[in-house]
Parts: sequence; structure tokens; C-alpha cells
Amino acid sequence: MIQTVDLCKSFGNLTVFKDVNIHVQKGECIAVIGPSGTGKSVLFRTMALLERPDSGQVLINGTDITRKDVNINKVREKLGMVYQGFHLFSHLKVLDNITLAPLRVKKMSKSDAEEKAMELLSMVGLTDKANAFPHQLSGGQQQRVAIARSLAMDPDIILFDEPTSALDPSMTGEVLAIIRKLARSGLTMMISTHEMGFAQDVASRVLYMDEKGVYEQGTADEIFLNPRREKTRMFIRKLKVFSYSITSRGFDMVAMNVQVELFCQKYNIESRKVYYIQLILEELILEVSRGCFNQRQLKIEYTIEFSEERNEVLVCFVYEGESFNPFETVEGTDHLGMVLIAGIAKNFGHSFENGRNIININI
Amino acid sequence: MKEFIDAIVNSLYKNLIGGDAWLVVLNGLWVTVLISAAGLLFGTIIGAILCAMRLSNNGFMRMLSKVIIAILRGSPVLLLLMVFYYVVFANSRVDAVYIAIIAFALNSGAHIAEIMRSALSAVDKKQLEAARMLGFSKFQGFMAITLPQAGRIAKPVYQNAIINLIQWTSVVGYVTITDLTRTVNNIGARTGDPFFALFLGILLYLGLSYFVYFLFSTCSKKEAL
Repeated sequence: MIQTVDLCKSFGNLTVFKDVNIHVQKGECIAVIGPSGTGKSVLFRTMALLERPDSGQVLINGTDITRKDVNINKVREKLGMVYQGFHLFSHLKVLDNITLAPLRVKKMSKSDAEEKAMELLSMVGLTDKANAFPHQLSGGQQQRVAIARSLAMDPDIILFDEPTSALDPSMTGEVLAIIRKLARSGLTMMISTHEMGFAQDVASRVLYMDEKGVYEQGTADEIFLNPRREKTRMFIRKLKVFSYSITSRGFDMVAMNVQVELFCQKYNIESRKVYYIQLILEELILEVSRGCFNQRQLKIEYTIEFSEERNEVLVCFVYEGESFNPFETVEGTDHLGMVLIAGIAKNFGHSFENGRNIININI
Repeated sequence: MKEFIDAIVNSLYKNLIGGDAWLVVLNGLWVTVLISAAGLLFGTIIGAILCAMRLSNNGFMRMLSKVIIAILRGSPVLLLLMVFYYVVFANSRVDAVYIAIIAFALNSGAHIAEIMRSALSAVDKKQLEAARMLGFSKFQGFMAITLPQAGRIAKPVYQNAIINLIQWTSVVGYVTITDLTRTVNNIGARTGDPFFALFLGILLYLGLSYFVYFLFSTCSKKEAL
């Protein structure tokens, strides 16, 4: 249906995305998610040729629409777009907003166009607003009219560019309900959104955009339940990450503790957990530096991942050297610290690969 | 008391009725209306052209229209009028009224060009883009979306420009044209009692201005329905 081949776009020196290959089949509903500023909107605009791509092609039903001899107006008749900011024609009534394009572009008769517009209005639940002006409607109502307006041209595919981002939470529901209805009716659509629940629910496929392109894609369950790549995980689980590395035995433990504390304060981690994190780090560092005594150089790196969604902290502690598991008791040594950690942690584990000891502790 | 009223009636008669003075006034009014209307018509056309040049992609055109607009807006319309009358058309037999029309068309054209430009740039460009996404060509979209909205934004300012134009035509007496102002001034000078004549002049200009207001307000009422 619609396909991009090695699509690249940059503004001056800023590369927005490069080598994007997307293939949307008929009847699919694709959700595009990702942090702000990763080019979701620009991707949609480039697919509609509102922005010229630097290189690459956009194929619609097999024809390359980036070619100069293609009549882009004809192509766009079959390509709908719904904007974050609605952009209804402010000088026209709701009904005229919907009938304008069918009348002027498709040369439909006035009675046919109006009949169709009323049908669409009843589909979005706004028949009583047919004679209102856009500024008299709420944001949610305006967006529903905008959806009806783009449906009036019978598009093959609709691109929804963050359709609910400009709405306050009380209105997102009504708009999402309409989009859900359309998805169920088999309309092909691409929707960029920050409503993760909605995307998971409706999308047949999810694209995660980051790092100047499509970073990871898969079915909704794959992306939301088992994201494979680092950044996707961080985005989906709303992870906040703190990392720190230690390279000498004489490092400043106090300064480190202050940084950890600042990080925890920033994301409102409860004080009991902050105490645990610091305790675990201190004990591990002590234990590891004692255990690796025969090594000249100390090399420890750790990250603290905080998942807002699950309110869970994961400490990932990595140190180089021979395989050494501090949790294995050795006769005659003092292992009070390790006993403490074992008591605090929900679960913990040690693994060793390529000269790196890895300890994961969940709190 | 009776003497006072008599004096007024007498003055009124002398100024306006005796010797069919009111016909002369009507004639002056006609000249003023003619210069204003023709100046506005051509001024609007010139304004549209200058505005199109100002917004074109051609750098030279943009620069050119900028310079023209700056000169025309920066110079007093009376001087412009004199330049045309005493310099440009000094040796030709073109009627002074036509020269006045040219001068006022150019001056108001520059103002109208700026009015149009600011109105066009005030229109939400995303609406035009939305129309383009529905299959409108650039021109169709401009006619269906941008122009009507820009017209609405420009209307009150345009109306002011018209009234300004009408009032500024009162300077055409400098180049021998007998317009409304010149006429009432002449009558006042002839009778040595200018009060009624000048006051009538003011009333007539006021009437013209209100006529313009009236036209615009009926226009917007129709739109609102």
C-alpha cells in the first residue's frame, strides 16, 4: 500500500532520519512511538511529500510519488492527514469544512457531498454541530471534525500525526474512540502517538523511532511486553538511568553518594530505597575491591535503572577481573555485607563473561 | 432673537442657494468621489501586484517591490501629486483629475500592498497545508482557504485606508482641481461668510465616510448570516 525505501531527510546539518524502510499493508494500523524530536512528524510529512526527502522513495501502490512527473495533488486525494493542531478551515462551518474538498476537488454534487458529510458527522457523533464554526467547538470536537474531513475524500490511508497531543486528558478519550472504530473497520492508518495504552491496544504493528530512524519494530506485544533493544526498553518502561564508573581505589565515595542521592531525589525514589541503594553500592564496592586485591587496577562500572512504571530499581554492577562471586561464602571471612544485600534485594544474581563479572540486584 | 435667526437664514441663502451654489457643491463632491473611487480601484490593483511581488520567490522582485513601497509610503501624497503635475506630466495635456487619480492610486496602492501582506501572513498556513492534503492545488487552496480568511483580517484596516484616501483627496486643490474642499472654500471666499460653506463641506466628508462604513457593515452582516 504505502512503502518507503531508504528514505532520508535532514534540515541543514541536522539529520532527522536516514534509511527508513517501512512497508504498510492494506488494513494495517501502525503505531509510531518514540521520544519527542525523533522525527515522527517529519516522517509523516515526508511521506505525504509536504517535505521533500533528501533521498529515497515513497511508493504508494507501487508508484514512486517522489518522481517529478507524478501529480502530487491526485496522490494526496487518497492520502489523508490528521494534525495535532486540527487546522480546520476557520472561516467555514463544520459542514462546509467537510464538503469543501469533495465539492471542489472531486466535483461531487452538493446534495451528495452534504449527505456524505452528514453520515460522517453522525459517525463521529457531531450531527448537531453541522452549522457551528470551528472556534465554537472544543478541541476534541474539532479533532473529530478534522477526522471526518479527511474521511470525506475516501482516502486509502490516513496519517494521524499525534492526534491527541493538543487535547486535555478529558477529551483524548472521544478522539481515540473514533480512531479505534476506524481501525476496527479496516482502514489503513499510521498513527504517531504518546498514548502507549492506546497504541498497544489498537496497533497491529508498532515502530519505535529513535537514533535517526526506526530503531525497533514488531507487534504491539513484542514492543510493549518484550522490547529487545536498550533504548526501546528505556522508553517503554520509562526507565531513568544513572551510571558511574570507578577506576581507582582512592575514588571519592562521598561525592559518589551525593550524586546517587541527587539522582534519586530527581525521580522521587522513596528514601528507604535510596538508603538501600547506597548500602548495596558501598558493600559491593568494598567486597569487590577486597576480592580483587591481587589486581593492580580496579575497574568497576554500575548503572542504577529506575522504572517509574513499576516503581522498581535495578542495580547493574560490573567489574573486570577473574570470576569472583561475592555471594559465595568463603570460610573464615566476614560476609555481613552480602548477607545484608541478600536480605534487601527482591532477587539478585551473578554471572561472568569475557572477563567481566556482572551482578544484577533488584530492589 | 429674530435678528439672529434672520442673519442665519440670510447667510445660508447667500452661501448655498443664491446663484445655484449647491449645484457647484455637488459638482465638487462628484470630483472628490471620482478621484477617491478610481484611486481606490487602481490602488487595489497596484497593491495586489506589489504584494504578489513582495511575496514572490524571486529575490529581485522582492527587493524591487520593497523599494517602491518604501518610496511611495514615505513620501507625502501631496508632493507625489505635485511631482506628477509639475514634472512628469508638465508638458502634456492630460487632465489634472487623471493625474490626481494616478498619484492617489500609487500612494494608496503602497499602503494596500502592506495591508494585504500582513493579512496574508496572519492566516494559519497549516490550513492551506490541510487543504493541500485533501488534494487541492496550490492555487485552488489559496482561493478557497487563504484569500477569504485574509480578506476578513484585512477588512477593517482596508476600510480605514479608504477613509484616509477620501480625506487626503482634499489636497487636490493645489493642482487646480475643483474638488469638494476647493468648492466650499471658493464659496466662502466669495460671500465673505465661510461658516456655512465650510461646515457643509465637513458634513459631506462625514457623509462619505459613513457611507463607506455602511457598505462594509452590510457586507459583514451578509457574511454572518
